Amino acid sequence: MDIASGLLHGFAVALQPSNVFWCFVGCLLGTVVGILPGLGPAATIALLLPLTFKMDPAGGIIMLAGIYYGAKYGGSTTSILLNIPGESSSVVTCLDGYQMARKGRAGAALGIAAIASFVAGTVGVIGLTLIAPPIAAFALSFSSPEYFALMCLGLALVVLLSGTSLIKGLLALLVGLWLTSIGTDLFTAQSRFIFGQASLLGGIDFMVVAIGVFAIGEVMASIEAGEEAKMLPVPRGIRNLLPSWEELKACRFAFINGSVTGFLIGVLPGAGAAISSFMAYGIEKAVSKHPEQFGQGAPEGVAAPEGANNADTGGALVPLLTLGIPGGGTTAIMLSALVLWGVKPGPLLMTESPDVFWGLVASMYIGNVVLLILNLPLVPLFAQILRLPVYVLFPGILGISIVGAYGASGRMFDLGLLVGFGLLGYTMSKLKYPTAPLILGFVLGDAMERALRQSLMMSQGDFVPLVQRPISGIMLALAVLVLLMPLFGWLNRMRVRAITENG
Amino acid sequence: MVRAFLKNGDVISGAALAALGVYIMMQAHAWDYYTLDGPGPGFFPFWYGAAMVALSLLLIVNAARASDEGQAVDWPATGRAMATWLAFALSVVLMEFVGFLISFAVLTFFIVAFIFRRPFATATVVAVASALTFHLIFPVALSVSLPTGPFGF
Amino acid sequence: MNFVNVMNRRHLICGAASAIAATAAGPAFAQFKPSRPIEFVVHGGPGSGNDVFARALTTIIDQDKLSPVRMQVVNKPGGGSTTAAAYVVSKKNDPHVIACFTNIWLIDPMVQEAATNKLVDMSPIARLVVEPALVVVRTDSPFKTLKEFIDAAKAKPGALKMSGGSITSRENTVRQLLMQLTGARWAFISFPSGGERIAALLGGHVDMMIVDPSEAGEQVRAGKLRVIAQVNDRRLPGFPDFPTIKEAGYDIPNVPQMRGVVGAPGMSAEAIAYYEDLFLKASKTAAWQKFLNESQLDGEFIKAAELKTFLATFEGELREILKAAGAKVVR
Repeated sequence: MDIASGLLHGFAVALQPSNVFWCFVGCLLGTVVGILPGLGPAATIALLLPLTFKMDPAGGIIMLAGIYYGAKYGGSTTSILLNIPGESSSVVTCLDGYQMARKGRAGAALGIAAIASFVAGTVGVIGLTLIAPPIAAFALSFSSPEYFALMCLGLALVVLLSGTSLIKGLLALLVGLWLTSIGTDLFTAQSRFIFGQASLLGGIDFMVVAIGVFAIGEVMASIEAGEEAKMLPVPRGIRNLLPSWEELKACRFAFINGSVTGFLIGVLPGAGAAISSFMAYGIEKAVSKHPEQFGQGAPEGVAAPEGANNADTGGALVPLLTLGIPGGGTTAIMLSALVLWGVKPGPLLMTESPDVFWGLVASMYIGNVVLLILNLPLVPLFAQILRLPVYVLFPGILGISIVGAYGASGRMFDLGLLVGFGLLGYTMSKLKYPTAPLILGFVLGDAMERALRQSLMMSQGDFVPLVQRPISGIMLALAVLVLLMPLFGWLNRMRVRAITENG
Repeated sequence: MVRAFLKNGDVISGAALAALGVYIMMQAHAWDYYTLDGPGPGFFPFWYGAAMVALSLLLIVNAARASDEGQAVDWPATGRAMATWLAFALSVVLMEFVGFLISFAVLTFFIVAFIFRRPFATATVVAVASALTFHLIFPVALSVSLPTGPFGF
Repeated sequence: MNFVNVMNRRHLICGAASAIAATAAGPAFAQFKPSRPIEFVVHGGPGSGNDVFARALTTIIDQDKLSPVRMQVVNKPGGGSTTAAAYVVSKKNDPHVIACFTNIWLIDPMVQEAATNKLVDMSPIARLVVEPALVVVRTDSPFKTLKEFIDAAKAKPGALKMSGGSITSRENTVRQLLMQLTGARWAFISFPSGGERIAALLGGHVDMMIVDPSEAGEQVRAGKLRVIAQVNDRRLPGFPDFPTIKEAGYDIPNVPQMRGVVGAPGMSAEAIAYYEDLFLKASKTAAWQKFLNESQLDGEFIKAAELKTFLATFEGELREILKAAGAKVVR
């Protein structure tokens, strides 16, 4: 069936009372799961699987999808209020979101996050509706050289994230690259940098690093600065609890950026949502008229990554629903669910199970609206958390950090790592090393190394295809340009100085 | 002059990172750099280790050329932060033996009473209330597991 | 009075007789019964293949009321099987801890210094399923049979590529065996997730892959991928038209990718017999057959004693194959 009739059919399915109910349940669960570190959508969906065995497939996938994209709405809450990423893709929101909270704009940040999530989430579903098959073909054409070039471009963004000291930013990035290589090499089963610890064979969990460096490091830095100076101002009055028109206007491009970047990168199997949010953030900063505000509380710095991680869900569903290829952990579980319900996920799903496909797509439009209505009124409520006295809030942050780090794996070892990374985060902030590049290196390093080695294996050691293939060639060129930007800036300063000295 | 230079944060961290870089390169040397099938496990670590060494040396050189003395360290403040960290670390160790609830309550008590210097009564109330809240939300309501001790919580 | 006395004496005699009979019958009557919830350890996180498998199994056991106590899936992810294996070994002599094992429980101790817990030192209970695989190429590829692929690989060593997981995975093992047998050589490109592997094949970046039927089945049905052989002892019911590798003319040893149950070390014979019986019953339920069909698994049940000997020999075979594949075998 064509798109228009498919969508109509889908709404007929999605608007059935039971499916509306499941959509709401999924969105609510997803929001809760996203807000709380230590609970991820993947784990929640897996735990609910046995309960869904008897469910009708359309209702089941509607609910599970609701958990999936609902979590992206909730993930920004703790990122903004407590500097704790609620979900791995929300880590970039910490950068500017928490700074906005420190300036008393917590409500505005939460509101912008919700609105960006809504806009980009809806755009993602529109993309899924209209261009799923051609976009899936585009995703398949992406091979390892293109992935490598994309990761290089992402890493080049470190230049933009380094603040004042480029050298320190690069060093932080390199430490991130090192940390992510700890574990077992995929290609040779060689264990690297595990210091004899079997617990490190699987590598270090990203949440442990992010929570340790961001949340715990920040708590320690705040305690050092003295409690009086660090009281988070609580916004008062409705006007201050929601974003102002100026802030929303400033985010116009960020909404588009987040939607497009998130969707396109989400389509690529194996590219996680953290990558799309970093890219969207980097692009936003690169085209901004006031890039120095990023990292200090720029609303676009919240809108772009938050939008990206929501559009990413729409993108990730493209290969799942059109090709039966799961892009990552959560979509893999959704695939298992579809199999268990007897729905066959693959190229024939759209035609053989239109109830499931179109019902799901239609329910996502509804779901995004439900989530916006659910989240916006919660904003003033959540902002009140900041009213808690600092001596209650800070131990609470430490407690939530423990839950977040322990929740996924249940290992005391991870808590030990958390303690270590907390100290690292504090040391970095004292010595003025920017922490964002470390996280960026950690997120991208593994994928970049893999993509390079795969590319060279495919071309039998030849580096030329990396630049010859059009898409990867262009992205690598862009990466080089971005890396050279500080050089241009330096040359410019030299030139200006020469002019003023001579003139 | 030299002593101030050596105590400079950039210099110390630069030296530490240079040492890390050297360590990385040494480890990478033990693995295959390039195999029949392409770069081996030693390829990437070698290069980012080398970059680490180069950049940290550059950092040290820059610190030597910089004219300012750097900021004096506010030791009491740093001490507070480090005490908090130490308490956090010890509470994690404690968790292994007596579980999250008790360890977290102790940690909270310590932070409220000694770092923020509130009265013991306030500290006790906050500690107990926070610990119970965590316990009710996470293990009880959401089945998220937290470290447990011999008492089952 | 007399009547009651007689009845009581009869009861007494009956009671004594059964007591004597019980002791005389010996160990068969000393049944193991679990007294607390059973921990079913899984080496993947929630949602991983193993986790879904274990949860399906425990759900079936629960629904058909085959166990008097609850069976709880416990996730111990980390380092492949190492964390889960270490956990199981730490519960030595506890008959309430069992685990779902796969091939990597054998492989990890062989290639990782830090993985010190070997599967054969635990208490094998049963092998539940074998995962077959399909050798697939794109429909528009020039290879219609396995022979054509291998001949092309012989003609141009290293030019053809296949996608797969790590070098210790089953697909690479089969590749090694085929390459050794025929002298052909083609590249193995590792991807961390199934989705990326299939995407690489569909996108034309690799030429062939060996994949689970559950992952590729739909692509085959839609006509995007072509099956040129299957990796199993016998043909799968869902794919009756495709030759096994042996039938295609390549006599390589079968390397089963298995899933089974193992208990903590030191488990008593009675406990092992109990679990063996429990899983045997579960494997005969209609719900389990349905699950096997939908997941395209081969439910070849193997009992404890046979499993133990099988594992010992299989471990030796795998070690040789891994050495030939270039993995660093440390144990």
